[in-house]
Amino acid sequence: MRSKLLAASCACVLLAACGGWKSGQANSAQGNISKDNRPPATAKASVVTNNGMANSMVMLAVPLPKDRALQVMHVRHEGMEAIGDANKAVHRALGSSDIGTVRANAAKIAQLSQQASTWFPAGTGPDVGKTRAKPDIWQSADDFAAKLRGFQTAARALQLAAGGNNVAAMNARFADLGATCKACHDKYRAEENH
Amino acid sequence: MPRQVPGGGKSLRQVVWDLPVRLFHWLLAALIAFSWWTVHNHHTDWHIWSGCAILTLLIFRILWGFVGSSTARFASFVRGPSAIADYWRGRWAGIGHNPLGAVSVLVLLAAVAIQVGLGLIAEDEDGIYLGPLAGLVSTDTSDKARDIHELWFDVILALIALHLLAILYYRLRGKKLTVPMITGRADVAPGTSPMRPGKWWMALICLAIGIGITRWIIAGAPPFGS
Repeated sequence: MRSKLLAASCACVLLAACGGWKSGQANSAQGNISKDNRPPATAKASVVTNNGMANSMVMLAVPLPKDRALQVMHVRHEGMEAIGDANKAVHRALGSSDIGTVRANAAKIAQLSQQASTWFPAGTGPDVGKTRAKPDIWQSADDFAAKLRGFQTAARALQLAAGGNNVAAMNARFADLGATCKACHDKYRAEENH
Repeated sequence: MPRQVPGGGKSLRQVVWDLPVRLFHWLLAALIAFSWWTVHNHHTDWHIWSGCAILTLLIFRILWGFVGSSTARFASFVRGPSAIADYWRGRWAGIGHNPLGAVSVLVLLAAVAIQVGLGLIAEDEDGIYLGPLAGLVSTDTSDKARDIHELWFDVILALIALHLLAILYYRLRGKKLTVPMITGRADVAPGTSPMRPGKWWMALICLAIGIGITRWIIAGAPPFGS
């Protein structure tokens, strides 16, 4: 009796965790986003100035002047926060099928995603000022640039979907977009310090 | 602090914690650890599921506190200040939570419940994940809830530290608490009234209610939410 109860209880607690709360979780979204491989020209030009080792050399050799670097970091911070706010707005609007709000904020994200190409010049890492951008960004510049392109592509895809009236498609593109945020943040963003 | 064996009488090994209480305790401990690990390792989805499982456990434990075994019932162990004072002076005999431990139980349950409640309405900083009830509040409220959720974990950590220190303190005074929470059995003074076990099917009903309410919340608590 005891062991049966134990087994039943464990099973039930686990079962309780089998519904579906609403979130833009990306199931296998990663595969979808990189089909469009046309890189926005700006991304390549400004983020990946050189490849591999050479890139970090450049960072050491020609750092951005500090005041200019801090300025970029500030724009980056504000921009990322604006993307987060717009993303939250889209998420809630999708919950209530408020297409107008989705549309406006998806456009905002797509626009900011293009600006993001200029947010990570060499010399704007944590050694210069307060930032959660990890030094790995400039050590793995190619990978970072690829992830940034993935984000830009996904943001554009959401904007296109939001132009229509298919909420399911918007949800799918929103999940894809979230996966590109997460892919980059998991690897290149440090935890928040309180 | 009092020993539970007065007068040097021969103590008997008896059941003091039923299986549901022990399962609740260890699952809660494991899920709190899991919640901490997942949120620091980019598994926000698992973190939310973990919180939902903790919610189920909490609802179960509260219900079991009314219809469970005698040592699980709030009515049998939650006492007033005078009982706590008596206990402090060594005038208490019984099994289960002592009057001071009862305060610890209530505070821990309340702290975890607050943490779960904050998590339910929170959202992550990128807007990728929404707590199941985040749609019922504004973005600002969700963001504030997440901030407090993060800070509140320190309160929970402090309470866990206090909990462990208390266990160590009792251990140094010769009273083992951990083993009974695993086996359910402890040495009890003769003459102490034994635990009245609850019904196993009642435990399953409590669990079913806990799961039901949790699933309703996961669904966004209709008709109030989505």
